[in-house]
Amino acid sequence: MSINLVLKGIFSALFLASVLRISTALILPALGGLITDLSGSINISLEGTMLVSAFTGVIVSGFSHNVWLGVLAGIAAGVLFSALLAYFHLYLGTNIILAGTALNILASGGTVFLLFMLTGDKGSSSTLASGVVPTVNIPIIKDIPFLGTVLSGHNIFVYGAFVLAFLINQLLYHTKFGVHLRAVGEDPVAATSVGINVRKTKFVTILVSGFLASLGGLNLSMAYLSSFQRDMTAGRGFIALAAVYLGGRKPWGTVLAAILFGIADALSNQLGTLNIPSQLVQMIPYAITIIALVVYGIRNQQKLIEQTKRFQERELARSKSEQQD
Amino acid sequence: MKKFFSNPTIREGLRIILAIGAALLLGFIITLFVSEDPIGAYKAFLTGPFTKFNRFGDWIEESITLILVGLSVAIAFKANMFSMGTQGQLVMGALVSGVVALYVPLPAVLRIPLALLCAMLAGFLWGLIPGYLKAQLNANEIVSTLMLNTIAIKIYDYFLVFHIKPEDAGYNVSEKFSVEGQLPSFIPNIPIFNKAYTLFTENTNITIMLYIVILAVIVAYYLVFKTPFGYKLRMIGSNMKFARYGGIDTKKTIILVFAISGVFGALAGAHLTMGIQHCIITNISISMAFEGIIVAILARNNPLYIPITALAYGYLRAGANIMERSSDMSREMISVIQALIILFVTAERILPTVQRVIEEKKEQTSNKENGTLSEGGSNEH
Repeated sequence: MSINLVLKGIFSALFLASVLRISTALILPALGGLITDLSGSINISLEGTMLVSAFTGVIVSGFSHNVWLGVLAGIAAGVLFSALLAYFHLYLGTNIILAGTALNILASGGTVFLLFMLTGDKGSSSTLASGVVPTVNIPIIKDIPFLGTVLSGHNIFVYGAFVLAFLINQLLYHTKFGVHLRAVGEDPVAATSVGINVRKTKFVTILVSGFLASLGGLNLSMAYLSSFQRDMTAGRGFIALAAVYLGGRKPWGTVLAAILFGIADALSNQLGTLNIPSQLVQMIPYAITIIALVVYGIRNQQKLIEQTKRFQERELARSKSEQQD
Repeated sequence: MKKFFSNPTIREGLRIILAIGAALLLGFIITLFVSEDPIGAYKAFLTGPFTKFNRFGDWIEESITLILVGLSVAIAFKANMFSMGTQGQLVMGALVSGVVALYVPLPAVLRIPLALLCAMLAGFLWGLIPGYLKAQLNANEIVSTLMLNTIAIKIYDYFLVFHIKPEDAGYNVSEKFSVEGQLPSFIPNIPIFNKAYTLFTENTNITIMLYIVILAVIVAYYLVFKTPFGYKLRMIGSNMKFARYGGIDTKKTIILVFAISGVFGALAGAHLTMGIQHCIITNISISMAFEGIIVAILARNNPLYIPITALAYGYLRAGANIMERSSDMSREMISVIQALIILFVTAERILPTVQRVIEEKKEQTSNKENGTLSEGGSNEH
């Protein structure tokens, strides 16, 4: 296959549409990772939360023959699952990383265990006829040649991800809760001293991140695919955490970073036809994240040096003026 | 009795036994609900590793890996560095040791030590990266190590698929190592041990790694508790700012912590390729590194306790495998038990009343013996 053909494939509308679909399962948990990170806790169990929701959604919709009941149950399961994390971390004093690791193990094994008990299969739920959420055709855009293929006809989670990114941005920077959340993450002692309930703020934040991760999970099992597969999240919860840092801990930055991971994923499928090893292509976003960590670290250090300098200058000026008095 | 409970080691031990007991009980309740023959299933789970000789071997082999990944995690965690990098280090160790075992035309006496050393060096270097990122740039070590894990796996797969795998192989696996590249049995092949040698080599893969692991535990213990480096490591672990004000070169120590953690992780990889699989194979024990976290937590990051927790934990894993084969239960039941053990052991305030009673007892005893306090203080210097 020639490079021309591959290039054509990459710049085709279908490719861009597939990037959007693949990225959705990263954007949603990444937003969850972002808010927990900004509130000063790190949600390692995004991966497990996605898995639990993906599983619950398929099982409930499969047995009730109602897609929306499945979606609701999936969300409820995801939020409850993160409530477990929040409770153990905030009330029982478990280190959040260890609690998150435990919950990931629980999710990975627990879903397979229950899947085996309910369907007799350990690999997938394909014997169960579970539902798929509807897709949306955007009225006018769908008729525009290129744009229509890229933007229209996706499932509701794809559009939901972008709406939620907007809402999270509003929440973080334009509401009282958002200010509290960031204050808690910045300096919990200072936040407490001005009367913010740190524990409650963190608890709610973890629940919201669970909600976002659960949508990401449901997107995998009830939209992207139509069944639950063993360990189907395949590390997306961890990639989502990386997207937070790659995106500079900002909502739209995080979304862009998640899309970058999506592009690399879609690209590795395309390049498989050329003789470029897919492993090397798949490595790119991870390497970029490392570079982003470096850039982010250097920037933070410079900020710190500047702050110290300014502080010193201020103090010097003050001591001089005091001497003059 | 009061004194008995106030001993922190005994208190910790009791806590862990209680946690494991509670988790096993809950596991049994689940089995009761799900299994047709719950007693049989649970019996297979709890006694499995002793029912056949090769099952006993599986248990020991797995425990050796668990000890090594446990040490790797414990050293990082002891410094309060939440490195998830053991997986990447293991993969790197497996790749490098495998390449040496496969291609370097030396006799076993030279090839095996060379392979192990190269693996350790690879783990050391791979560990330097997140260490440097953490120490110099304060980069989040969880994210950096998770990224490096995936990169390591991709590098491993790339070399395996494009350079190591024979062209006609259908599956992603290298040629089998020649005998010079395989770790020999832990029993020397000499006439006196003839019977034991054949018994163990026919049924198990317990290799000289057994001795290396014992050595590794001792080295890790001395490193953490008896050397200046270990003192710095523990200081950083208990209070980073205090350590820095105290004049400890925190940056250098942190970088070394990650690198040394990598050495143990890489040895686990070498054990898997040269001791167990005897080839470089795709998807090499991906989840093993996370099990190391459980082993380390149960041992409270103390290298000396890691063999005990690894054996106990390896026993549960081996038991779960046997339970799956001999009953209608699936082995994933054990992940529920695993998760519960972590949560119970690490939840500091899970038994507040019990804790309070113990605290009161501790207070009483410390009031009686004022001398113990100064003794405890002097240990820190």
